[in-house]
Amino acid sequence: MSVGNSVPSVDARVKTTGEARYALDAAVPGMLFADIVRSTRAHATILDIDPSEALTTPGVSAVITAADLDGLFPRFGHIIADHPILAIDRVRYYGEPVALVLADNRYAAADAADLVRVRYADLPVVIEPEEALAAEAPLLHDEDYSLGDRSFSEAQSARPATNVAHEAMLQWGDVESALEGAHVVVETTTRYPMLYAYAMEPYNAIASYDEGELDVISTAQHPFQVREDLARIFSLPLNGVRVRSPLLGGGYGSKSYTKVEPLAAVGAWISGRPVKVALDVEGAIHTTRADSALIWVRSGFDDKGTIVAREFDITLNTGAYADNGTLVLTKCVHRCFGPYNIPNLRASGRAVYTNTVPSSSYRGFGAPQGNLAGEVNMDQAAERLGIDAAELRRRNLVGPGERHIPGKRAMDADLRADLEMVVKGLGWGGRPTANHGIGFGCSASDAGAFPVSTAQVRLFADGSALVLTGSTEMGQGSRTVLGQIAATELGISVDRIRVKQSDTSLTPYERTTGASRTTTLTGLAVQRACRDALAKLVEMGAEVLDRDVEEVKTAEGDVVAGPDSRASYEEVVQAWFGGRQGEVTGVGIVRRAGELAELPPFWEIGMVGVDVEVDPQTGVVTVHHLVTVGDVGYAINPAMVEGQDLGAATQGLGAALSEELIYDGPQLVNPNMVEYRVPRMGDMPARIDTFIAERGDGVGPFGAKGGGEGSLNPVGGAVASAIARATGRWPTRLPLNSSAVWELLNPPDEA
Amino acid sequence: MSVLPSFEHLRPADLHEALDAISFDDPVYAGGTELLLAMRSGLLRPSSLIDIKRIPELDRIGQEDDDVVIGGTVSHAAATADPVVLSAAPVLPKVLAHVGNPRVRAFGTLGGNLCFAEPKSDVATILISLSADVELASKNGRRRLPVEDFIIGPYTTARNEGEILVSILIPPTADPMVYEKFQTMERPTVGVAARLLEDGSLRVVVGAVGGAPEPFDFSSVHEVNSGHIADRVEVIPDLTGSERYKRHVTRVVLGRTLAQLEGLA
Repeated sequence: MSVGNSVPSVDARVKTTGEARYALDAAVPGMLFADIVRSTRAHATILDIDPSEALTTPGVSAVITAADLDGLFPRFGHIIADHPILAIDRVRYYGEPVALVLADNRYAAADAADLVRVRYADLPVVIEPEEALAAEAPLLHDEDYSLGDRSFSEAQSARPATNVAHEAMLQWGDVESALEGAHVVVETTTRYPMLYAYAMEPYNAIASYDEGELDVISTAQHPFQVREDLARIFSLPLNGVRVRSPLLGGGYGSKSYTKVEPLAAVGAWISGRPVKVALDVEGAIHTTRADSALIWVRSGFDDKGTIVAREFDITLNTGAYADNGTLVLTKCVHRCFGPYNIPNLRASGRAVYTNTVPSSSYRGFGAPQGNLAGEVNMDQAAERLGIDAAELRRRNLVGPGERHIPGKRAMDADLRADLEMVVKGLGWGGRPTANHGIGFGCSASDAGAFPVSTAQVRLFADGSALVLTGSTEMGQGSRTVLGQIAATELGISVDRIRVKQSDTSLTPYERTTGASRTTTLTGLAVQRACRDALAKLVEMGAEVLDRDVEEVKTAEGDVVAGPDSRASYEEVVQAWFGGRQGEVTGVGIVRRAGELAELPPFWEIGMVGVDVEVDPQTGVVTVHHLVTVGDVGYAINPAMVEGQDLGAATQGLGAALSEELIYDGPQLVNPNMVEYRVPRMGDMPARIDTFIAERGDGVGPFGAKGGGEGSLNPVGGAVASAIARATGRWPTRLPLNSSAVWELLNPPDEA
Repeated sequence: MSVLPSFEHLRPADLHEALDAISFDDPVYAGGTELLLAMRSGLLRPSSLIDIKRIPELDRIGQEDDDVVIGGTVSHAAATADPVVLSAAPVLPKVLAHVGNPRVRAFGTLGGNLCFAEPKSDVATILISLSADVELASKNGRRRLPVEDFIIGPYTTARNEGEILVSILIPPTADPMVYEKFQTMERPTVGVAARLLEDGSLRVVVGAVGGAPEPFDFSSVHEVNSGHIADRVEVIPDLTGSERYKRHVTRVVLGRTLAQLEGLA
């Protein structure tokens, strides 16, 4: 059986030798190169754009502004179409695209971009949500852009005449009375930093517009979602837009939904030639970032440590445009309070428009922000109650089969067992050492997104098979894992299978590659497609072997109708069609029905712990030990589960200890990889334990359920609590870099 | 700016040609690890770069009179591996082995580092503590001055237009020396060099934390007061911390440096 084994990544060889073809490697004969003129103001009216000097640069063929987009729908956005392709009359953040320069090569385009003269009239600027919510704050948006796709979000639309982009609320019971009767009430506030989801390949796209058809190759995680934005912009039918996503050099959610594709597409539409837009890291940071959050929490407990009520108030800085911020807010509201039995709850939040880079998805979708708030609050409660922090969680965690959110799927995991793996792994409860601290946290995310997924399997006349899916390979290993699922289902070896992905014209529909859904939902679609193909093969086999269909089954790559009646797949296909030809196509469909009628499709578990040491002299934090638990139901590829967990936890350590985008006035001061510090090899913990919990409790193939984000979500809180236990002081914000830790230990008023 | 702006690349065969070619708009290219970043970010737009890397006399390490001479285009990696440097100033290879990252050490040069005068640098600090000089050449001749006088402030040196740094001259020493730095980002937050001279006096140089390395001299080890230095040294707050924090870690690093020096003495 192929599943259950750590089959090496099918992309490993081409990636290590440099032969792998990424979107950035794509080239189309005759293409022009684009450069972007970006706003040098955070909020301003555009008075005038003068391209005349730029147009004199040798090799430059066009300078495109919003005024050139007549006849097109000039904005994009999958939930709220508020994002202009190029700024229309007004810029709302420093770095916003104002004009697109097209030239024969990227050097000429870059030189010319510097020569486009833009005159602005400044408007008042709001960078922090507090400023944007003030009574006299300038309004960033005064149009209603809503498109009405409610399947994305349970959030409410913008409140008119404010900078509140969206609000979300979840509540039950009577929080006030419960808190009045509580034995202990613990109130905390935490700030989660503004982040950039660093991927090695920055955003890029190449677009061609020929004979009424738009063809785009880009770094899109969700090519089908991008197709819809592009179809709306150009009033094209969905079959008139082709979006292809080759191997992506990392995604982490930052490449979900539309980014630079409309820029390349309007370039092609206007110039009549293929156009390539390729950003550097600084350009990518000025395209999308992740939400910073300010979250206030109040939790009440009885004298035994049982939660009686929790209340959350969330403010997200969503930036200048909505992008996926609506979903991030909704997810934050659903994920902040943790997988606990909470009899009375109110979680409310708002995403606030500000004059900053638009924020969007990043691994965890609102969970890391919310989890920091909720879990640090739990740890402080444990201290106040005099109850061990692990024991406090044991008393409150939701059990298998119990519901912690009314109307949602019952818990499909054994959280207490997962917690034991973490605390035992860390040696929690041992004698504390000076300057050392252990921290851990629990999370459960309503993952999987809305379950829509389709796949095809084509079984060829030589017995090899092709799996077709619209799910994107971005380094996470779906090409390998989906191949393993198909190999096992078809009963053939994995090297007889190839997986082809993410071409909206040739591969079947996939909603998204995100929310840790691929193995579970795309995997189910592939499994069903294989079974459909085999069912057809059985019918064909019955005809070929001259038996009743009921007598025929498949086994290990053969069609079998008894001890002396057997034919291989290729023999059946060849005999049925005649000659050495033909193929069998199986179709697999996943929708919100049956086992998947209840949302979420699965709970994605995060159980993580760290052992840290703080240097009290410098504030430097060293993470000595990291423990993750991949509660994935069934590990189709154990090595890849561990890789996902380690990657997720490492990104969590980045946010916890060093990563933060910093605004000083209207612009970012560190939009580069020198001053925005992601973890390096030297930062990795000396000891790493990536445990896997397999209890067959997932809705996916072979009892699997998703992983990949879970092990990021509790890291921030775990690190914060570990540092608190090492130092005796509770941090209220991340990242806890050396200066932040030292300032925590040496506040100015105590100097 | 994602790409380098266009410029001419000139490769003079000897120093004479190079001196003819350079000007304010046509700066020296000696490794590019700082210069190209500045150009890429749009801060500098030279019309040409005068590539001096193939001028043989600049790419050598040798001895002249009593001094070790490191040519203007010698890379950090080359100096780190050189036996002459090791025997004359054993502390220097240890410092250079941790400058930047492997790419910077392979391409970056000591001379370029000094001329760019990036404040967050290890090189100037350790060279000042070694009492090193630089030799500058121009069409009018040559002059020699201490590194301490050469570095004036952030991105500012005593180099005049038309001058090229041809060599760094280091008097050999067996004095106990220690360099200790504190670094959490790509560049050091603070670097401290301490040297116990033959006469028992002590020189401490504090770099990276302010605009330029600052030397502090003491008549003996007993005179040194880390707190006094940390309070007086120029500190520029930035992404690595507030002024208060940076003064504090300066004090901590001074303490660690002096403790190590005590161990050597």
